[in-house]
Amino acid sequence: MLRLFSRRNVMAAGVVFFALLPFFANPYVLFIGNLALMYILLSVGLNMLLGYAGQLAFAHAALFGVGAYTTGLLKLELGLHYGLALVAGVGLATVTGLAVALPALRLRGLYLALATVAFAQATLWVFTHWNSVTYGGAGFRVPPLDFEPFTSRPDIGVYVLTFVIVLVSVPLGWNMLRSRVGRAWVAIRESEVAAESLGIDITRYKSIAYVVSAMYAGAAGGLFAGMLGIVTPESFDLFQVIVHFCMVIVGGLGSLWGGVLGAVGLVGLQEVLRAFRHLQEIAFGGLILFTVLVIPGGAVSLLKRYVPGWKEPLRRTEHDE
Amino acid sequence: MKRSPFAAGTAAAVLAAAWMHAVPASAETGVTDDTIKIGALGVLTGPNAKFGDTIYNGVEAVYKEANATGGIHGRMIEYVREDDRCQASEAVGAVKKLIHQHEVFMIHGGACSNASLAAKPEIVAADVPWVITASTASSLTDPVHPRIFTTMLAGWMESYAQVQYAIDLGMERIAIVAQHDNWGRSRYDPLIEAFKLHGIEPVADEEIAPDPTDGTPQALRLQAAQADAVILILFPKAAAVILRDAYKIGYKPFLIGGSTVGDVGVFANNVGIPGAADKLHAVSTIGYTADDPAMAEWKAKVEAAFPNDTFNIYHMFGIASGQFVVEALKRAGRDLTRESVSQAMNDLSVETDPYAGPITCTPTDHQCHNNAAWFGLVDGVTKRVGVTAVTR
Amino acid sequence: MFAYLIASGISTGALYAMVAIGLVLVYRSTGHINFSHGELFMFGGFIAYTCFVILGMPYFVSLVVAVIGGFALGVLCDRTVYRPLIKAPALTMVLATVGFSFLIKGVARFFWGAREGGDYVAFPAAVDPSPIPVGGIMVFPQQLLVLGGAFFFVVVFTIFFRRTRWGKMMQATAENATAAYLSGIRVERVYTMTWGTGACIASAAAVLMAPLTLLSPDVGFNLLLRAFAATVLGGLGSMPGAIIGGFLVGIIESLAGGYIHTGLQEVSAFIIIIVVLVFRPAGLFGIRRLRET
Repeated sequence: MLRLFSRRNVMAAGVVFFALLPFFANPYVLFIGNLALMYILLSVGLNMLLGYAGQLAFAHAALFGVGAYTTGLLKLELGLHYGLALVAGVGLATVTGLAVALPALRLRGLYLALATVAFAQATLWVFTHWNSVTYGGAGFRVPPLDFEPFTSRPDIGVYVLTFVIVLVSVPLGWNMLRSRVGRAWVAIRESEVAAESLGIDITRYKSIAYVVSAMYAGAAGGLFAGMLGIVTPESFDLFQVIVHFCMVIVGGLGSLWGGVLGAVGLVGLQEVLRAFRHLQEIAFGGLILFTVLVIPGGAVSLLKRYVPGWKEPLRRTEHDE
Repeated sequence: MKRSPFAAGTAAAVLAAAWMHAVPASAETGVTDDTIKIGALGVLTGPNAKFGDTIYNGVEAVYKEANATGGIHGRMIEYVREDDRCQASEAVGAVKKLIHQHEVFMIHGGACSNASLAAKPEIVAADVPWVITASTASSLTDPVHPRIFTTMLAGWMESYAQVQYAIDLGMERIAIVAQHDNWGRSRYDPLIEAFKLHGIEPVADEEIAPDPTDGTPQALRLQAAQADAVILILFPKAAAVILRDAYKIGYKPFLIGGSTVGDVGVFANNVGIPGAADKLHAVSTIGYTADDPAMAEWKAKVEAAFPNDTFNIYHMFGIASGQFVVEALKRAGRDLTRESVSQAMNDLSVETDPYAGPITCTPTDHQCHNNAAWFGLVDGVTKRVGVTAVTR
Repeated sequence: MFAYLIASGISTGALYAMVAIGLVLVYRSTGHINFSHGELFMFGGFIAYTCFVILGMPYFVSLVVAVIGGFALGVLCDRTVYRPLIKAPALTMVLATVGFSFLIKGVARFFWGAREGGDYVAFPAAVDPSPIPVGGIMVFPQQLLVLGGAFFFVVVFTIFFRRTRWGKMMQATAENATAAYLSGIRVERVYTMTWGTGACIASAAAVLMAPLTLLSPDVGFNLLLRAFAATVLGGLGSMPGAIIGGFLVGIIESLAGGYIHTGLQEVSAFIIIIVVLVFRPAGLFGIRRLRET
């Protein structure tokens, strides 16, 4: 009976749900759905770097921002087609990711954390201060998108685009994690020395982790710029990093599907938290603490334990079961 | 687990009842025979909540009074708030929720400018009237949109007024110290524009973090530039640090503050050094201080309605804006539609209790408030020292 | 101008050093960085505000209450965050302390956030607020108090580490926890003590700083970044390094702001962190430790 709720079925139901959403949802619900899909991308990318490769890097929100700024600015300044601008956004975010990776490869653990926190803050400072390019603290409006031959409603257009990208890139990521690359990441996470002695090229696989994760972040950023129609620096501050981390943690660190659940769950939760008013920070901090302390494997670890059909390879060994 | 037919039947009945109930008696969304639903969009939590939640408490105090005296043509105002956390991303969700989920008649609110700018296309698309309470970006109401009005001074107005004030005082060497976050930017850019219009250059242009521990480098540089007037684009935290450190190094220029330090007396108290704020004049959106006897009645009403609040200038923004909207709703009459209330506001002048001049909207100008009041310390007491009607 | 910049650099640097001491203390004995350290600092300030302004106690008493309160909060952090996760990887600990920091920030905002109509409260001067001449320049008596306070705490803690039983146990645990455990030291109690001590120095720093600025629930993060810069500059894990690093960060900020551009005052700390970690991860004084490992 419980097989009904196996991962495969739940994910299939999710795909059907998100595919049908534009047909019955009001614009508000559709927007929230779009936000959830975008966060899935972000969370999958972050999970690769954080959960699988074990790199404690805080640069993700900055890369997300680079994707959003690049996409938005190309659309605004050059009138580039949104699709092309998005590709360019992914490209620049990837290059930035690589640029972060090069020095970051020398750093481990807390040193890496500190350096990337500083990098995130410095990027934010550039977003607010480089007026001639980023329009400073006030940000800029992205010209309205046009999906004309397909639909007259831009919000549905962005939604469908996001949906398609998620539908392609999440399984791609899943395959990558089950390949040599994913196994190498987990080996590095568990012990760099052991990984090296197995003949794993640490520099190479760590760089791949940074680059792939930056690609996901860049794509999410470009979609974010498109769906909001405005790019402002405060969307990429450290609070956002924490939100992204929270998705991965609550869903399940080192579990791709956990990250997906976490993204959807947290977007839902944020909507519910609107009602909490002055207690939001408390609820948010409390949720992270509660998850880390009580269910360290995240929501997905509970599913793995109690619901058949949720097992996956490369799971973290420390906290599971 | 099978769902029993009984449960399904009940659910259907409840749904049907809910659906029947949801059909509005009036043709207009958000208006029924005895209620008008108005939505507020803005920051309700975190460090900026004063620009949203506190202001809406002021608005709601006015609405409560209107309701207590029989409502507006027999209808009670219902005021629902949605949090945008001062984030563009949250604002889009919040405004969609107000429009499509709560199905409000109009929107009365708007705090952080970036968030409001993100929400604007949604509001325009849904054709919902919108009265802005605190967002200062001029692009919200300029060019004029038939549904959008603001009762707040635009960011550029404060900046223009500051430069004009310095020149009127006969100051020749004018300098700037600003925080360059998004709030500061929205005032800094028009400030530079105003300098250009007057054909002068700031003698120094310094920057400070919004949350600094030290302002000595800034104070020293301003002193070295021999500025005789310094325009502050600062929140109280940074302003207090600058005032203290300027005083410390014995540098006493004329200080021209913005509305964030508009209650000069309260701010001087925060600075805590006798004499440090003596040469500070600050522009303000409102015409009175929070402890002015003219405000005593509202102070009592707000504090009765919201026992956790201490009455302050942000409530006063809300009260002024609330009085304007209530008057517009009255003018629109019993046949309330989005069109009729927009028409009413389109040509309306209302004297409010907290502002120094009337809130006046005209068909060509929906920036309905332009009376900046100036405050300074006179014998240790905050006094209004002038009113400027700002034009561009 | 130079004298003023150095003077203000030293007084802010003293604050950074005090915050950094707590950070390093915890890092040395547990190997973790407490990301909620900035919020512990902030909370100490608000405890003192409650005593000093709301309850009308004398400044010195408020300082003592805040130090004790800070200690209690540090212990709470140890019990709720560190102890249960003692074997968890660094990542989990970082996230847990980040979660804890949000929690206390939210609590602070709930109680004190909207008190005076803004998100900040004014902390009245503890001593005469008018500046006095010292060596040809004017300084606030409070700045001297900050400097004196920092000096006092550094001396007290040096004595504590060198001379007292608890201090020696903390040193031993930091060097080698297993060996310390085997020689009969109750390592867990030492950890509790460490978290508490770190937080109480941060509280003291907040109480000293508060009269110079306004106090808000958001001050913690900025101070934490400065303290990061100080510890990184001094070599992560070195106590004298953190103190010197704190003063250096303060002075660099002040000089860069005064002589180059005031915008640099805000970003100096990030630049220091990135440059040091990329080019000299062991920090300025980390040569010895690097050779050891």
